Amino acid sequence: MINPVAGMGGVVGLKGTDGLAEEARRRGAKPAAPRRAETALKDLLGLDALFFTASGEMGESALRRCGLEYQVVHRASEESSAEDTKKACISFLEKGADLVVFCGGDGTARDVSGVIRSKIPIIGIPAGVKMHSGVFAISPRAAGELIRGDLEGDLNTRETEIVDVDEEKYRSGTLDTKIYGIAMTPYQPVLVQERKQIYASRDEDEFKLQIAIFASEFMRDGSAYILGAGTTTAKIAEVLGVEKTLLGVDVVQNGRTICRDASERDLLGILEEVGKAKIIVSPIGAQGFVLGRGSQQISPKVLRKAGPENLIIVATPHKLKETPRLLVDTGDFDLDETISGKRQVICGYRIAQRKEVVASSKVGTDEND
Amino acid sequence: MTPLDPPLNPQTGKPLAATDLEAIFPKELIRQEMSAERWIDIPDEVREILKLWRPTPLYRAHRLEEHLKTPAKIYYKYEGVSPAGSHKPNTAVPQAYYNMKAGIERIATETGAGQWGSALSMATSFFDLQCRVYMVRASFDQKPYRKSIMQVWGAECVASPSELTNSGRAILKEHPDTGGSLGIAISEAVEDAATHDNTNYALGSVLNHVLLHQTVEGQELKKQLAIVDDYPDVIYGCVGGGSNFPGMCFPFVPDKLKDKKEIRMVACEPAACPTLTKGLYAYDFGDTARLTPLLKMYTLGHDFIPPSIHAGGLRYHGDAPLLCNLVHDGVIEGQSFHQNEVFKAAVTFARTEGILPAPESAHAIKPAIDDAIECKKTGEEKTIVICLSGHGHFDLSSYDAYFSGNLVDYEYPEELVKQSLAKIPKF
Repeated sequence: MINPVAGMGGVVGLKGTDGLAEEARRRGAKPAAPRRAETALKDLLGLDALFFTASGEMGESALRRCGLEYQVVHRASEESSAEDTKKACISFLEKGADLVVFCGGDGTARDVSGVIRSKIPIIGIPAGVKMHSGVFAISPRAAGELIRGDLEGDLNTRETEIVDVDEEKYRSGTLDTKIYGIAMTPYQPVLVQERKQIYASRDEDEFKLQIAIFASEFMRDGSAYILGAGTTTAKIAEVLGVEKTLLGVDVVQNGRTICRDASERDLLGILEEVGKAKIIVSPIGAQGFVLGRGSQQISPKVLRKAGPENLIIVATPHKLKETPRLLVDTGDFDLDETISGKRQVICGYRIAQRKEVVASSKVGTDEND
Repeated sequence: MTPLDPPLNPQTGKPLAATDLEAIFPKELIRQEMSAERWIDIPDEVREILKLWRPTPLYRAHRLEEHLKTPAKIYYKYEGVSPAGSHKPNTAVPQAYYNMKAGIERIATETGAGQWGSALSMATSFFDLQCRVYMVRASFDQKPYRKSIMQVWGAECVASPSELTNSGRAILKEHPDTGGSLGIAISEAVEDAATHDNTNYALGSVLNHVLLHQTVEGQELKKQLAIVDDYPDVIYGCVGGGSNFPGMCFPFVPDKLKDKKEIRMVACEPAACPTLTKGLYAYDFGDTARLTPLLKMYTLGHDFIPPSIHAGGLRYHGDAPLLCNLVHDGVIEGQSFHQNEVFKAAVTFARTEGILPAPESAHAIKPAIDDAIECKKTGEEKTIVICLSGHGHFDLSSYDAYFSGNLVDYEYPEELVKQSLAKIPKF
């Protein structure tokens, strides 16, 4: 599934292409997604696989140019739209596909995962303006390798977050990111570093469990714990035996949930009441955002009130290996500065890694464009 | 000085009796383990063999000093010249000898990274003993030539867990693909020794008699430095279970305690497994399977499995009780380091002095270099000694990982661990 207009808005300063393909074209943008899709697909020649796809630029043309065997299961309208993406995905499921490969950005990921959910794995070929979701490969070529690996049965799959920014608001200067869902995606097991691990497990879930067991032990200290969104923090709640909203922020104290799906105001209220709290967050999406994406209820105000020293970062070694550094983008530059530097990240039972945390304002926000 | 707390029998909670150990150790080694004598003679047969490579050289690191432009004098005592490539034969040879004297025909042991297994294989071949080494599966696969070198010396090296013991079979049934652990390998070797009449067990670190055998290093060092009319201001050595470092510095301890010499002795450990710097000083088991006596030591907990750093020999949750006692009394100090900074120091060392250090030994090079750089600022002509416990010729895949930027800096989340232990009932 290729979103032919993905990425066009970025080049001409539109911060996304949702609803603005025409404007992007008028400003001189050229479609780049089909070419990026072909980069990923051209290495797959000779693979024993049949591709279901949508007509024309939504997939058919690229597959034909790559010489791959395909079958068109959805006729796209002249000006392809999100509707076409969703309809094509419904057909993929009906046809009994094993894997969905799409090419686009976070908007496309949302549309695809809205239909596919966790039923079958999804791989994203990166071609959009914003790609914060965890389904994206780090490059089109890497996407090709993942597709091959998945079909040859060499890879494990894991849950990951689908994240998107409200483009309307983003254009007017407000960054409002949300987690829209959870998808399954294949990943390369961490080979080199874990080879000597005792009871080595390449399985990411086992590390999530290790982190969760350790957290359940240190959370006995009586403090209130603000748990950010995501599957790692959800595992902590599971081990504690408390309920947790997967996509929201919850507060846990002494083994019970004291606030579900908390808003910033709820969190400030609780901090007022209990004096101090600790915050547990896990990096969201492919770029490794710890703050500023996904759980924005944990705002600068909340962080300052809780004290940045009470921020506990947790992440599996797999996730840490994917990203050279973790990013923070709270919107409060001084606070980002305070949080950044070498920080301890809990990555297993009584084990941590020392990882660089960087204010994303320092690295430039458009490195994927 | 605080007297050494005795090891305890875990069943009775009482101090261990010599007879508790007779099933797996020869009497003479048990006597040495429990001895409070200042000197114990080295048998001539053992001296003859140690002479093959001892005394080991003490080098002055002129080229490293020049590179750092430091006024400090850096020496290193190189144990990598032993045929097995490390300090381990210093105790492997006497241990094999006393077992042979006691009529034992076969020795079983475990090895993690392979240094100890290689050393004992060589030592047993000198005394015509059979030897079986249970090697942690992950290392067995990663360093296949360790097995080859043990085979050359006539020993049998098997991957652990194995099908040869009950404990091995039990683990394999549950975890057929496991990479094994030192704890499991110890259990297999102890079981092997306990179930074969002609077989004893041997340990390459931690125990008092092992440290005793290693003091040959420090005694040589003292004489060698005296020849050039020098004396250390500081000794740096790496610590895994603690045998090479105590061996090097224990002969200097009386100087510090009795003669009030100002000498620092620094035990260097990985930040990923910081037993002396972040552990608890308490009684704990020496192995994961809780088969050993309880030892009073700094420990991260016998259930702690250190992360997969490349200095495999330093991945141990506890340390030698004698060493821990001296750290607790402030005679010896501990420092911990991250693996990337350690490898960086190792490369600097190799590029100036030529020798490729084992990643374990490089933990002692890192602070020595830092210290020498500090001397540049103060102008102090400090005498710094590095215990270079072995070469890194079997560790090149780790150097590869360093150069390709794939080394993770692990650390121990001390505060959170303390917080989690606070509410757990005490043992």
